[in-house]
Amino acid sequence: MDNHQPGSQTQLGCKKATAAQASASIVSPQQLVQITQPSSGDGLDWKTLEQLRSFPGGQVELSSRAVTTTEKLAQTSRRDFLAMMGFTMAAAGLAGCRAPVQNALPLLTGSDDIIPGVANYYATTCGGCSSSCSLVVKQRDGRPIKIEGNTGSTIFGGGTCATGQATVLSLYDDARLREPMWMGKPAYWEDVDRQVLQFLHRYEPRDLRIALLTSTLTSPSTRAIVADWQQRYPKFKHVSWDSISYSALLDASYKSFGQRAIPHYRFDKARVIVALDADFLGTWLSPVEFARQYAKARKTEAGRVLHVQIEPGFSVTGSNADVRLVVASSQMMPVAAALLARVAIKAGYLNLPDISTPVDVRQLDAIADELWKHRGESLVVSGVNDLLLQTTVNTLNLLLRNIDQTVELNSPSLQRSGTDVAMHNLIGEMERGDIHAIMLYGVNPAYDFPDQERFVAALKQVPLSISFSDRLDETSSQVHAICPDHHFLESWGDAEPVESHFSLSQPLIAPLFGTRAAQDSLLAWLDVLPPSYYSYLREFWRKNVFPRHKERLDFEAFWEQSLRDGVSVASSSVTRPTRVHEDWKSAVRTILENVEKSPSPMREGYELHLYESVAMREGKHANNPWLQELPDPVSKITWGNYAAVAPALAKNLGVRDGDIVRVKSKRGQLELPAFVQPGQEPRTISIALGYGRTHAGKAGNNVGVNVSPLVESMDGTRSYALQQIGIEKTGRSQRLASTQSDMSMEGRPLVLETTLQEMADTEHNDQEDLPNVWAERLIGEHSWGMAIDLNACTGCSACVVACQAENNVPVVGVSEVTRNRIMHWVRLDRYYAGSEDNPRSIHQPMMCQHCQHAPCETVCPVLATTTSSEGLNQQVYNRCIGTRYCANNCPYKVRRFNWFQYSQNPEYDYTMESDLGRMVLNPDVAVRSRGVIEKCSMCIQRIQLAKNMALQGRRNLADGDIQTACQQVCPTQAITFGDLKNPESRVSKMLRDQRRFQVLAELGVKPNVSYLKKIRNTLETT
Amino acid sequence: MHKEFVVATFDSPDDLISAVRLMRAERFRIYDVHSPFPVHGLDEAMGVRRSRLPWATLLFGVAGLLVAIGFQFYANVLDWSLNVGGKPDNSTLAFVPITFELTVLFGGLGTVAALFLRARLFPGRREELAGLGVTHDHFAVVLRKRDQTFDVSRAKMLLTEAGAERFEEMEADL
Amino acid sequence: MSTLGITQEPPQSKRTALQVLPPPRWIDGKPSVQRVTEEIVRPLEQWPGKEWWMCFAPSAGALALFLIAVNYTFMKGIGLWGLNNSVGWAFAITNFVFWVGIGHAGTLISAILLLFRQQWRTSINRSAEAMTIFAVICAAQFPLIHVGRPWMVFFIFPYPNQRGPLWVNFRSPLVWDVFAINTYFIISLVFWYLGMIPDLASLRDRAGTGIRKKIFRILSLGWNGSHRTWSRYEIVSLVLAGLATPLVLSVHSVVSMDFATSVVPGWHTTIFPPYFVAGAIYSGFGMVLMLLIITRSTMNLQSYITMRHLDMMAKVLLLTGSIVSYAYATEFFAAWYTGNLYERYHFINRATGPYAWCFYLMVLCNVITPQTLWFKKTRSSVAFLFLVSILVNIGMWFERFVIIVVSLHRAFLPSSWNMFKPTIWDVSILIGSFGLFFTCFLVFIRVLPMIAMWEVKAAIAQEGHQAASTHHADRELRKEVVNA
Repeated sequence: MDNHQPGSQTQLGCKKATAAQASASIVSPQQLVQITQPSSGDGLDWKTLEQLRSFPGGQVELSSRAVTTTEKLAQTSRRDFLAMMGFTMAAAGLAGCRAPVQNALPLLTGSDDIIPGVANYYATTCGGCSSSCSLVVKQRDGRPIKIEGNTGSTIFGGGTCATGQATVLSLYDDARLREPMWMGKPAYWEDVDRQVLQFLHRYEPRDLRIALLTSTLTSPSTRAIVADWQQRYPKFKHVSWDSISYSALLDASYKSFGQRAIPHYRFDKARVIVALDADFLGTWLSPVEFARQYAKARKTEAGRVLHVQIEPGFSVTGSNADVRLVVASSQMMPVAAALLARVAIKAGYLNLPDISTPVDVRQLDAIADELWKHRGESLVVSGVNDLLLQTTVNTLNLLLRNIDQTVELNSPSLQRSGTDVAMHNLIGEMERGDIHAIMLYGVNPAYDFPDQERFVAALKQVPLSISFSDRLDETSSQVHAICPDHHFLESWGDAEPVESHFSLSQPLIAPLFGTRAAQDSLLAWLDVLPPSYYSYLREFWRKNVFPRHKERLDFEAFWEQSLRDGVSVASSSVTRPTRVHEDWKSAVRTILENVEKSPSPMREGYELHLYESVAMREGKHANNPWLQELPDPVSKITWGNYAAVAPALAKNLGVRDGDIVRVKSKRGQLELPAFVQPGQEPRTISIALGYGRTHAGKAGNNVGVNVSPLVESMDGTRSYALQQIGIEKTGRSQRLASTQSDMSMEGRPLVLETTLQEMADTEHNDQEDLPNVWAERLIGEHSWGMAIDLNACTGCSACVVACQAENNVPVVGVSEVTRNRIMHWVRLDRYYAGSEDNPRSIHQPMMCQHCQHAPCETVCPVLATTTSSEGLNQQVYNRCIGTRYCANNCPYKVRRFNWFQYSQNPEYDYTMESDLGRMVLNPDVAVRSRGVIEKCSMCIQRIQLAKNMALQGRRNLADGDIQTACQQVCPTQAITFGDLKNPESRVSKMLRDQRRFQVLAELGVKPNVSYLKKIRNTLETT
Repeated sequence: MHKEFVVATFDSPDDLISAVRLMRAERFRIYDVHSPFPVHGLDEAMGVRRSRLPWATLLFGVAGLLVAIGFQFYANVLDWSLNVGGKPDNSTLAFVPITFELTVLFGGLGTVAALFLRARLFPGRREELAGLGVTHDHFAVVLRKRDQTFDVSRAKMLLTEAGAERFEEMEADL
Repeated sequence: MSTLGITQEPPQSKRTALQVLPPPRWIDGKPSVQRVTEEIVRPLEQWPGKEWWMCFAPSAGALALFLIAVNYTFMKGIGLWGLNNSVGWAFAITNFVFWVGIGHAGTLISAILLLFRQQWRTSINRSAEAMTIFAVICAAQFPLIHVGRPWMVFFIFPYPNQRGPLWVNFRSPLVWDVFAINTYFIISLVFWYLGMIPDLASLRDRAGTGIRKKIFRILSLGWNGSHRTWSRYEIVSLVLAGLATPLVLSVHSVVSMDFATSVVPGWHTTIFPPYFVAGAIYSGFGMVLMLLIITRSTMNLQSYITMRHLDMMAKVLLLTGSIVSYAYATEFFAAWYTGNLYERYHFINRATGPYAWCFYLMVLCNVITPQTLWFKKTRSSVAFLFLVSILVNIGMWFERFVIIVVSLHRAFLPSSWNMFKPTIWDVSILIGSFGLFFTCFLVFIRVLPMIAMWEVKAAIAQEGHQAASTHHADRELRKEVVNA
């Protein structure tokens, strides 16, 4: 291994490397001290750990021999597994080194920075979707086991989404390819490279027509590699194409602002938000970022923020809206135009025609008033992939002077850049045989391209097709060569989600299989020597990112800093003059004319509204059982998609939940279960994309129905809103795997709402504590409690997956969920209020309330559950005999029973059965066996860890040292955990909030979990 | 240890009772009477005192009561004090049901044990029958020949006139 | 002098107990003491008849089903049942409470009726107690089955252990249950056995030599009918009866506390103990009635288990059934009167919810059915009583089902409202438990005297005695009339 970089860090790094390799290390006492003591008072703050532990830099590439050893992993015995542990430790031990290490040796004696049983935390960037959130990943004994948000990120904060949380499980997905494949047969990298190069060399570089089809590339260095290809092969063609199209949005902003980039929206600066079918809290563009901004804006002290959601289906965003207008997709444009007209009139463009919309005129007026009143601090967004509509939205924001306020054009979002038309043309060329070779990276058109057959046929026309897919999916099973890419936790990389906001990815584990970073493959075929993406990345940053940081002179230091922080904000490269329409009136006129002359939507037939579901998104993670079993935030249905129909429509059709219906469109028909969704547009059927994978893996195959064939693409641009849809019942029926059957609160005061006005009127808290029947018992040093701000909670369900990952909660599968046996420790109760045509909806995270007078404890015959000296309601698994009396007596029904042996049971082959899947388990939490009750422990392992850290640091536990998994992951920081005995702790302060209430407090169970009422704002219509 | 007895067998409880009365009037001491079912009025006739076994019941019952209370108090208060639903360690009211049950259990078992002890009933003991059918349909008056002064012929005469079917002398451990 | 008999004139009595009204007769046909032994022992000494086999075959089959279902459950886990996160208790506990309830009639008959000097108990108490034993055995299976891991159940006993202080939770009604059920079982067993010793002795003396003799000799503890023992024996019986009486009442009270002490709407009620006890006696008598109707016909014991016995039991059914009905009414009233949101909803749901049909079936069987027993006509029709006894059992099973499942499936948070749907395994275990029960009972009536011979003999002697004196008194009266 070569290492010639100067700098103390390097020295340290190399000492580690040699230690790992020569398996002999001299540990200096200082280092020992460092290891056992956190250097600052931040307890588990990963930064301090970073300071005292290494920055993993070492890239480990496997020789083919190493590959063969790793191949066995899927069926490893425990012994082999330990060997692998040593292997991965070595990998992490080699971290400090700059240059690629050719082979890694088992770690016979431990290296300085790997203490078995002590977790390391490394910053990286999420590869779950192209939002590219910044992450901090917990690595335990060389295995990444938990993903957390990067608090250092100015954009995303410490939160992640459910998908991001689940990606760690995808790392251990045994459907991943173990080695490259050539012509459908396993091959060695050398052979594949030789074959590819031979093919490329057949042509003159200037003649070679090679295409690279990728999803949005948020990685600037990867874009640079693409540029290199461009240079080498003039006819090289890079097409970026996303599963879910944002083309119209991009085109519209080019039309309106002169740059084909999505503006960086700032919901936190907006006082009035109008979203036209944009699920910005759930799936749209950058949900984690937007949810964070949204919660920040809606903080009570910040004052009133009006959120108007206009949508045909019931999205999680809509469930948070103050005003939700149910409007069919076909009516979205007229509504936008009507708003535009009203705003334009206010802006001084008189005698404009009014557009007829299904929405009550007074409501439209009121919304327009609100928008106008908050010029410069309002925000209009739309998720509809329609150029005219997006242009209208831009014009609205222009008129409302939101540009550079809530709509930032200077630092646009680069999270989506796909172009439908380009894909359209590409396929044309492929069919004509104009493409010699095609490389597919991060795309799966054979699954989600509207005309799959057409794409597959076109693909067959290409002499050489290469896929970087990590598995034999619908597309890669059709190509000549598969060069499996690393999981992002195994690979180097960078991202630029928002311009000049850079973030780095670093490997958390040596590649489990014989995979290779796609960038390395691309470089290898460019004959760049040495073909190391890692060095390329460093060089890229040295040349392009580092110069934009004036404050630092030494690149090494800058690099270390960036690796440690994971993020680095550069000074904006260029400030573009945003070409804002001078003649906005003509723009308005053209829009309104367009709308008026556009044919009024057919009223015969129904409309189809295809959307991304929070759990499955575009379907990339279909083989991730955590996501498959994640209940939809609104419908609470798991394991599959369904046709959401309005209660009225359901009555007409005579369908009930689970009745299989046949949905017909011009482009075909499909059958799937119906679900009666209150608040659904009466003539619209909503169906989630991303289901019905056939080549995803054992968990994801044939779950739900793939609706992408129904997507219409008008002149290349895909439309997810379809008309002239027929629906009929088939007479067959199935039971939906729903986790919540009942809709309303049945008039019970379970989740409370309030308004700012009401808060102003009553400043004191109306819920007082009940008197004690008997003398209160003494609680020890701490009394752990939790406060959940329902005003911040959006119901995004990230906490559910986070808890599952942290606490080894088993996946039980569709049949068990159907029998209401889901094991999630925290569930999100969703209640509707109001009319079923357009109800209000409210989410309530419900986990063990850790009652001080816990009914479950009194009835347990064997004392398997008791109150700890710190006020926690504990469950002792190996004492529990499974009478389930506690579960009956729990008013909150949060206790979960292991009906079967869910772990290591071939009948539950989801995560805990294969040696690979077990690698994701958290060693600090017992895996429960059959016949015992389990429930939320308030992450007691985290509490203990924090206490130990404090002890080692010879300091007192500080407020905030402990973060439960659900609290940490929450993008909106709705959950606060802390010590109730400390009156100054954040949780104690929140408990003094006048919005505070406890669920079922009248039972006198004295829960340690309190809630803060949700605030609803109203739209005054004159 | 075998003793000598004089046994007279009857086939009607009424004759039995009258016989017993007669013999006692004639200063014979009735050693015992064997019958297939408890003949009413025989206690007075024989002059059997009421059994003192109920005292055993009381004794054992109280023992059970104390054991139950003591054990529960020891377990939940002295030995292993836990915060169970915030309830006090000494949840006396909650101890009542078990205390009651143990009282009954001890009392019941103790009484039966005492009976078996007193009546020398135990598994494997060979029965000593005063005559055939005393567990079926016959009744036997048993007099003990304590010494030579016991006038067998007179006893036989009296019993026969009292209606005895059979009359025999036997050595047994009745 | 003649033997006690039906044909001869009663013997001249020396005493004159003037008694005009004849006492009730509980044995038909005034059999002689010999015949009592003969007739009662006959079934034990001969090969069982066709009827017996016809009852035994299905019972044994059901028992086999029970063993299969239970063992498969233990292998796989109770996930095989229809339970879910909200409904954690259903069939297993319903069956448990049901069988415990059945177990109440026996001891009630043998203990309470003994204290009340109810002569009519003599010919049915033995089988009633046996029924109690077997019912409690059935009941005792269900806690083990319910947890799904029977090998863990010993945790529930406060045994001295080396795990450092580790005891059970004496605040938990389930622990109370353990003590109550065990005490009840032991005391009932002892009481039953004690009552059987004299009969075992007479069986021993009938048996020639060989294994029967040996077994009966061991079991009869060397009983020889000594009157000094008899008199102690009777005292002890009374004492045990005195102890068993509050025990009977306590057992189902404790069982009811499993529910009454919880917070679940529909369970959290103070009326439960008396209500459950009444229900238990009601169902228990229903079962006794059924069994006796079966046995008296299959074993031709009509002269010992007479219509008058059936009539008395029917009356008890009427009484306890009415008490239960009253309890139902009270529950609804309390729910409405307290105004508790959740309590009210529960009872609305009970009567109108998805499980309403169970509720109305329960009302039909437990409220309406017993009211038909006001009439001598219905009470004296064996077929009708048999039907009633079946309905009573169905009704009482559904009462427990309604209380348990309907309360759980819609508790406090509507978000966790779920339905319970039994699976094939739930049903198999329920049916199987009946197999266990009936098999035990049918075997019992083959190998042990199902009627307390010595008590019947005593009763006959009593009756003969009284009859004698009555007859005597009549003649005196007639003389006086003639003189006048």
